[in-house]
Amino acid sequence: MTILSQTALQEIDEIRQNYPTARAALLPALYVAQREFGWLSPEAYAAVSDLLGVPPAIARGVGTFYAMYKNKPMGRHVVQLCTNVSCMILGAEKLVDFLKNKYGLEPGGTTVDNRFSLVIMECIGACGTAPAMLVNDDFYENLTEKYIEEILGKYQ
Amino acid sequence: MITITINNKEIKLEKAVTVLEAARSAGIKIPTLCYHEQLEKYGGCRLCLVEVEKMPRLQTACTLMVTDGMIVRTETEAIADVRRGILEFLLINHPLDCPYCDKAGECELQDLVEKYGPTTGRFKEKKRKVTENLQDPVIVRNMERCVMCTRCTRMCEGVQGASAIGVVSRGGHSHVEPFSGNRYDCEYCGNCVSVCPVGAIMSRLHRHSYRPWQVKENIETVCPYCGVGCTVVAQVRDDVIKRLVPKIGSPVNNGMLCSRGRFGYEFVGHGDRLTTPLIRKNGVFEVATWEEAIGLVAQRLGEIKDKNGSGAVAGIASPRCTNEDNYVFQKFMRVTLGTNNIDSTARMGYAGAQSFIENIFGQGATGNIISGLSNSDAVLVVGGDPTTVNPILGLQIRACSRRGGSILTVGHLPGFQHFSPLELNPGLNHETQLFEHILEHIVGELVSRKVLPGSNPLLEAKIKTVQADVAEMMKEPAISEKDFAGFIEKLAGAATPAVVIGKELIQSSGGGYKLFLICAITYLINGRIYLLSDHANEQGVLDMGCAPDLLPGYRPLSYAEFRKRYETAWKTTLSDKPGLNIFEMIDAAGNGALKALYVMGENPVFNLPDAKTVEAALRKLEFLVVQDIFMTETAQQADVVLPALSWGEKYGTFTNMERRIQRVRKTVDREGMEDWRIIAEVSKHMSQRMQYADAGAVFEEITRVSPLHRDLTYDEIAEGHTIYPYKGEPLRGATAEIKIEKGSSYPDGPLLLGVARPLFHSGTLSRKSPALLKIYPEAVVRINPATAAPLSIADGDIVRVTSSAGSLELPAVIDKHVEKQVVLIPNIFEGKGALSLIAIALDPVLKAPVLDSTPVTLERVGKVSA
Ligand code: SF4
Ligand code: SF4
Ligand code: SF4
Ligand code: FES
Ligand code: FES
Repeated sequence: MTILSQTALQEIDEIRQNYPTARAALLPALYVAQREFGWLSPEAYAAVSDLLGVPPAIARGVGTFYAMYKNKPMGRHVVQLCTNVSCMILGAEKLVDFLKNKYGLEPGGTTVDNRFSLVIMECIGACGTAPAMLVNDDFYENLTEKYIEEILGKYQ
Repeated sequence: MITITINNKEIKLEKAVTVLEAARSAGIKIPTLCYHEQLEKYGGCRLCLVEVEKMPRLQTACTLMVTDGMIVRTETEAIADVRRGILEFLLINHPLDCPYCDKAGECELQDLVEKYGPTTGRFKEKKRKVTENLQDPVIVRNMERCVMCTRCTRMCEGVQGASAIGVVSRGGHSHVEPFSGNRYDCEYCGNCVSVCPVGAIMSRLHRHSYRPWQVKENIETVCPYCGVGCTVVAQVRDDVIKRLVPKIGSPVNNGMLCSRGRFGYEFVGHGDRLTTPLIRKNGVFEVATWEEAIGLVAQRLGEIKDKNGSGAVAGIASPRCTNEDNYVFQKFMRVTLGTNNIDSTARMGYAGAQSFIENIFGQGATGNIISGLSNSDAVLVVGGDPTTVNPILGLQIRACSRRGGSILTVGHLPGFQHFSPLELNPGLNHETQLFEHILEHIVGELVSRKVLPGSNPLLEAKIKTVQADVAEMMKEPAISEKDFAGFIEKLAGAATPAVVIGKELIQSSGGGYKLFLICAITYLINGRIYLLSDHANEQGVLDMGCAPDLLPGYRPLSYAEFRKRYETAWKTTLSDKPGLNIFEMIDAAGNGALKALYVMGENPVFNLPDAKTVEAALRKLEFLVVQDIFMTETAQQADVVLPALSWGEKYGTFTNMERRIQRVRKTVDREGMEDWRIIAEVSKHMSQRMQYADAGAVFEEITRVSPLHRDLTYDEIAEGHTIYPYKGEPLRGATAEIKIEKGSSYPDGPLLLGVARPLFHSGTLSRKSPALLKIYPEAVVRINPATAAPLSIADGDIVRVTSSAGSLELPAVIDKHVEKQVVLIPNIFEGKGALSLIAIALDPVLKAPVLDSTPVTLERVGKVSA
């Protein structure tokens, strides 16, 4: 019935044991589902809610509140670029333009080849080495256009 | 005693309440938006800010508890400033579309802005745009208007317990949505609609058809659907019910309704309503005048009575009609026609179960206060899902769980899935063994503590004869010992347990024996019994004596002293011989002993099992009169059809399952006669005058003759607290009779038919209610995935379900909540009723039909054409 893999099911089961209530386990459980599918589809919410016994509308409310849950399909690699104060002062907005012109990658969008999605982030705690971004779970700082080109080359 | 000062007024309080409640109790108004008396406190909107001396900032009156000596001011310049600011903020995104919005006139935001708000806003940027969502058939969402008070979600989660909607997204983008983002697919109680202070969530039923100030009357009446008897207020304009809303403060439903009550009122003005009397001539119905029709009924009934005797005539009364209708009907049968042949579909289980229970525990044993369920520390639920049969009662069980009580269910009940029930699911075949096993354990426990109650030696003697077959019970599906032990611990350890019994138990194979076991368990744990009832006046129809062995006031016909009393009151002699019950009537019609049948507000062809047999029996009658509001399956067979006024068009009373007598009031005008008045007219034509000016006069007679209703007045009932015995005589005690008979067992055969009881329907009334039909439009067969797979049945496939009594073709719904062994079909839609597939077989003790033991086969016959 469920669309989650056996590993995911098991992982969520273990997570559940670590929390006093099912609702408390919702955040980590949603991450597991997101890792499986790249985003939280209605089916993914339904599967998690079924597993934990949390009503699906509540699960979706939680998953749409936090920016790190993705509520639409993502490309193969997710670029999360900070444009908050420090990064902005040091040129993050130009980098946004660069991504648009060079890769056709708009904030909130995905490249036509489905290779990258771009998510604009608030401060990711790297103000001293701004501008900064994440590609999937990898962290990069002191960004320039050239450096970005080099980084993205690694992600096919 | 706490003394506080609000706006220089001293207020004395017995106990600590919030500043808001204290102010309200003293008549001081504080504006609010997120506060609602039915909901958990939230403190989100900040409109109720007040100044409290010695506190540094403004405080929210809705959450701040009073303390002795507190000095509060609610209207100062500083507060006004803040309120203006908050309202200006709210209007940043809220559209100014009051002229178009249905809420205008009763909108809390509109009122607040008018009183406290700024006249212009300073916000120059664009407003948030969200298109109105019309994807749902009955609820429209306009999230531009939402002020994020979360009243709807607190209602849906915290009171209704459905958790079907949630706040989605964040900050200025937050809005409220059901999981799908479009259709609600929820319990459709509409309670979120009730509490939304603005026009963000509204009913589509009356969309753009009136303004709140155009409501001519707010008429308090009782929901026409189930035995809970919720108090509703009908808002009427131009002689049309525009909306039904719950009454806040009603002791039954306190501001809550279910989908049927809220959205099921449109049958009243339905175009299919019968409008004139019809007489069958040469096989076809012809329009007739009242004079002709009533004359014919009186003449034919008289002839048949004279020729074949009173015993050849029978009447079927209605749990949908008022006490007044039913009283007059049984009096007509007993006095004018001289027969006790009167019964109703309460015989389908409610009547038999009730008298069984009352024999053990005394009269009124099942009449417990519904709201009391929420105070129990454990509720045992058997025989079906109360959240669909009696939804408002179901809410009280959910509330019990929220307050820390345990819900103990036998069988899987989806309505409690988010309320961590302790669930034992023995499968149909092993329910009896499970009950025996529970009983044994509780006896064991009590004996070891030396605390057998001892108050009912007869029952205790019978209990000792019970022996459980544990090995049998532990067959498929096995119940784990841990679950069982946990269940027993909660049940036996409860201080204030309640036991809720549904029809699925009563109408099951061996139902009488199972009911005995449940009664025995209840006795040992000292529980209170609730007997679910699916018709608005199912209790009342029995109270009025519409039963072959009962006189009004629920008095047994067999007692000479009771008979005497009615003989004097009615100036007649009464036969001491009990009449035919509803099943015996069908038999007697079939074998020719019964010649004439008068059916009031009932549809036996559809609502009794085995449509073909019932139909054939009715065809043999010499004369069939059907009095109803729609052309039912039964009316189609009648010789005379008499159109009656419906629930919304007449006065009277209903008695709910608590035995609370409540007023039903006329909401709209319609030409025609009430059921009781038609009957009285027929009686007059038979030279037996029944003279009543109005329903009040009928009720007045009831209060003179029925000991249960003695001296009650309509005015007194209107207060809402008349639960009998109110002033009447004490109720009967237990009798010495406890019948035990095991009844039939389940047939071999892999699949059994079950009767589905969807939340959104009742049958006769709901299938003529367009809104309910939009939510649940057609008959379906629900099948467990494990049953469907080997037969290659997929969701939406057309499936032929065949039993020995007939077959139906229905679209399939694959549903994991259905037991593997069972296929579920509702008994609602014309020509597609589950009961038509079930042959009549009665439980030996309860005399209720067995509805869960019909073997069926399934066959996939096609796909739905796209
Ligand atoms: S109608 Fe009832 S169940 Fe549905 S969302 Fe509203 S409150 Fe919840
Ligand atoms: S929809 Fe209505 S009740 Fe719900 S949060 Fe918005 S304004 Fe409040
Ligand atoms: S159907 Fe029953 S629970 Fe629902 S509103 Fe009517 S009386 Fe109340
Ligand atoms: S502002 Fe970009 S990392 Fe802090
Ligand atoms: S009413 Fe008090 S904060 Fe909303």
